Amino acid sequence: MSELAVDQVAVGYPEARVINNLSVTVPEKQITSIIGPNGCGKSTLLKAIARVLKTEKGSVYLDGHMIHQWKTKDVAKKMAILPQSSDAPPGLTVFELVSYGRFPHQKGLTGLKRSDYKFIDWAIEVTGLSDLKERPVDELSGGQRQRVWIAMSLAQDTDILILDEPTTYLDMAHQLEILRLLKNLNIEQERTIVMVLHDLNHASRFSHNMLAMKDGDLLVEGTPERVMTRENLFNVFDIDAQLMSCPFSKHPICLAYDLCGECKFKQEQ
Amino acid sequence: MTNPYIPLGQKRQMRKVLAIIVLLLILIISAIIISMNVGEIRLSPWRVLQTFIGLGTADESLILFDFRLPRIVLSVLTGMGLAVSGCILQGISRNALADPGILGINAGAGLVVMLFIFFYSAPTDAPVFFLPVLALFGAGATALVIYTLAFKQAEGISPTRLVLTGVAVQAGISAAMIVMTLQLSPEDYQFVAVWMAGSVWGSNWSYVLALLPWILILVPYAMSKSSVLNTLNLGDMPAIGLGASIEKERRILLAAAVGLAGASVAVSGSIGFVGLIGPHLARQLVGSKHQYVIPVTALLGGLLLVVADTLGRWIMQPTEIPVGIVVAVIGAPYFLYLLARSRA
Amino acid sequence: MKAKNMTLDRENKRSQPLVAVIVLIAGVIALLFSIGFSITVGAADIDLETVWQAIFFYNNDLTNHQIIHELRFPRVLGAALVGAGFSVAGSIMQGMTRNPLGDPGILGLNAGATFMLAVSFAFIPGLSYIYIVLFSFVGAGIGAGLVYGIGSLAKGGLTPMRLVLAGAAVTALLTALSEGIAIYFHIGQDLAYWTAGGVSGTDWFNLKILAPWMFVGFIGSILLSKSITLLSLGDNVAVGLGQRTGVIKFFGAVIVLILAGASVSVVGAVGFVGLIVPHITRYLVGYDYRWIIPNAIVLGALLVVLSDLAARNVNPPQETPIGALIALIGVPFFLYLARKGGKEL
Repeated sequence: MSELAVDQVAVGYPEARVINNLSVTVPEKQITSIIGPNGCGKSTLLKAIARVLKTEKGSVYLDGHMIHQWKTKDVAKKMAILPQSSDAPPGLTVFELVSYGRFPHQKGLTGLKRSDYKFIDWAIEVTGLSDLKERPVDELSGGQRQRVWIAMSLAQDTDILILDEPTTYLDMAHQLEILRLLKNLNIEQERTIVMVLHDLNHASRFSHNMLAMKDGDLLVEGTPERVMTRENLFNVFDIDAQLMSCPFSKHPICLAYDLCGECKFKQEQ
Repeated sequence: MTNPYIPLGQKRQMRKVLAIIVLLLILIISAIIISMNVGEIRLSPWRVLQTFIGLGTADESLILFDFRLPRIVLSVLTGMGLAVSGCILQGISRNALADPGILGINAGAGLVVMLFIFFYSAPTDAPVFFLPVLALFGAGATALVIYTLAFKQAEGISPTRLVLTGVAVQAGISAAMIVMTLQLSPEDYQFVAVWMAGSVWGSNWSYVLALLPWILILVPYAMSKSSVLNTLNLGDMPAIGLGASIEKERRILLAAAVGLAGASVAVSGSIGFVGLIGPHLARQLVGSKHQYVIPVTALLGGLLLVVADTLGRWIMQPTEIPVGIVVAVIGAPYFLYLLARSRA
Repeated sequence: MKAKNMTLDRENKRSQPLVAVIVLIAGVIALLFSIGFSITVGAADIDLETVWQAIFFYNNDLTNHQIIHELRFPRVLGAALVGAGFSVAGSIMQGMTRNPLGDPGILGLNAGATFMLAVSFAFIPGLSYIYIVLFSFVGAGIGAGLVYGIGSLAKGGLTPMRLVLAGAAVTALLTALSEGIAIYFHIGQDLAYWTAGGVSGTDWFNLKILAPWMFVGFIGSILLSKSITLLSLGDNVAVGLGQRTGVIKFFGAVIVLILAGASVSVVGAVGFVGLIVPHITRYLVGYDYRWIIPNAIVLGALLVVLSDLAARNVNPPQETPIGALIALIGVPFFLYLARKGGKEL
């Protein structure tokens, strides 16, 4: 199993540093969601974990080693990344794209081996794409396309899966479908999943662990019950939220909310 | 091919690619035979064959082996080099409209040739052999300048910036060339103009030998990098996720693309559009997987240039139209067609 | 998101009428002085007073008056007109297409003109000047029409990238055809002399052809300027504000063609003026085209008059092609835009 930890990391872009000093340990074999308002640095944190952005200070640790000291191909054997909405090159078939997931396991000039085909077939089946195998990815619907990318990450056969807003641009049913798929992977395969989610209620319902960020800092972390409180949501999003328990999953969900201009919560404090 | 684990669809795809490759080879060979016929002295395919096995007259041998054949072989190699170069560039930039020309390869080579003629006047036999070396140097240097100018510390290379920087640098180079043009003697000017237009007509076997190693080394190298190109073609994030060292790979592949196109342009003159059309047609035929795209691209490029050269010799006989012009006249409308069809 | 940022940006940089008026007045004064100074410089030294007298109290018996009247004055006027023409054409293009890279040269105007010139040199040698001008004007129109037409055909409209690429391809095609013709008929260098761009040959006869068109173009662009400001906020906004965008774009395109086409026909390919001047003008006076256009006229004229002055004096008695000289300023400027443009484009 692979352990992921962020230690005193400062990261951002040359014009502006986004995160100044953030430490967190991602629990193994669990689903962790990162939430927070626009520009709070949640995608930046995810990119730092995914080694897309280099940290200015501190480091991300994978199995106790600094991630930048690993060979990038070896990291890819342990950790797969699903980017926020990506276009596949035109004409590329589902099978071909999923087979690219085997890249980190291939050596030099060798083609796909028997074991590679096993993983590809499994990934295609699990994501329910068997009938679409030979179709070009760019001709599929948004939900199908997202599943193809997930299948590619699955074919990579990693312990950790990192996803940046996997449900954006999908309708409600497809959002649930993707999240269910991730949940099943977590339960059946014991994969560690880290993702950025916009929808608080989805985050609460599908994750074991939530990280709430604001202005580049980690404000609260913990179980949905711990994070989804009226006080925390006020601190993170500046909203006055009415919370209740989800009739399906019993997790706390946010029923309705108001902006804090005329915020009762503020007055109460 | 007999691996039982390969799914049926993949096998079908492989068979299709193989069929296309065989078909292209047949087309290239046919084009070569026709091309050997075309010229002031016509040789029938039968005579060509006889000359090949040593039964032709001395004149026929001379025409075939010393004039037409080197030129034809050079066309094929140049086409391959430029097309594969374009294929690499399109793969790493994720831009179907990238062409070796945007790296300033043609402009840079042209500038150096112009400078040489400017200072040493009409080329006799000796400097002609020297010219390709200079042109290659110019192409490489210009590509380096454009790359450096388009590079940003934090973001690396963005395709848009690369294209715009390329346009700007080329505008500068052409301004410099105009200044020099005005001071050349008419003979020198004609030489440069013909070179710029791209021609393979001065070619002999030593040109072929000069280009051959580049093609023999870099085309297979590009093929060996197919998997990497596949990942880069998905975009930065997915490529990193799959464990490709994107900046390093991109730099190496760019260098290979510059080497291929630079060497081709150096011996054959400024020829555009092959690097654009070749890979694009190949993708239409075999999809996006570089294991398939690169060999098909190479063959298409070779075919395109042999056909263009043959047309150039044939249309306005006895005057020859430089192959670069023929390619541009075919290629530019196709490019515009692609552009009009493209999505934002 | 992008559009929103752009609008915000515009709000921050509101038009500045006071600055605009100051720039305009300072520009006119600078222009008059550079015209005067430019006339004094040359093989024969002539002082400013003589220039003044030659223009307003012309005396046919004095050699200096003749030089000024026949050579230097028309030349400098030509430079001013052409500079103003390219700048206004560039401003309109950049405003209408919301495209920072709008420039008549990028549009294929130059290549189109060169192509038609090659055709006329090759097939109808000895054509009179007026017909040559006409031919290159038509060519410029063909080039621009092709680039714009094909670029706009694509789904998602004419993005900066597309404009540049379509321009490059049309230029390549027309240049290849011109090259072919030039090599076949051995007219390459004749063509190059023209392409290099120069105002040296401008005389009163040229000016008589050029000036009316230019003035029509200037007046038209000023009349259109308010609508262009609205178009520069985006098509949807302009329609929402009750503009008939189709009509405005059509007239805008006609004006661009008249101004840039006439300039190209008379002086050849002087690129980059239409790119640089609008940017500088916007930087100085803000985003209101009612101020941008008059200022672009003055600043464009100033730039080309000064460049012509430099072109004559870099390497006398030879003239450096003015197109190359302006490219020397233009290329770094373009590079700067490309570098900065990562987000803005």
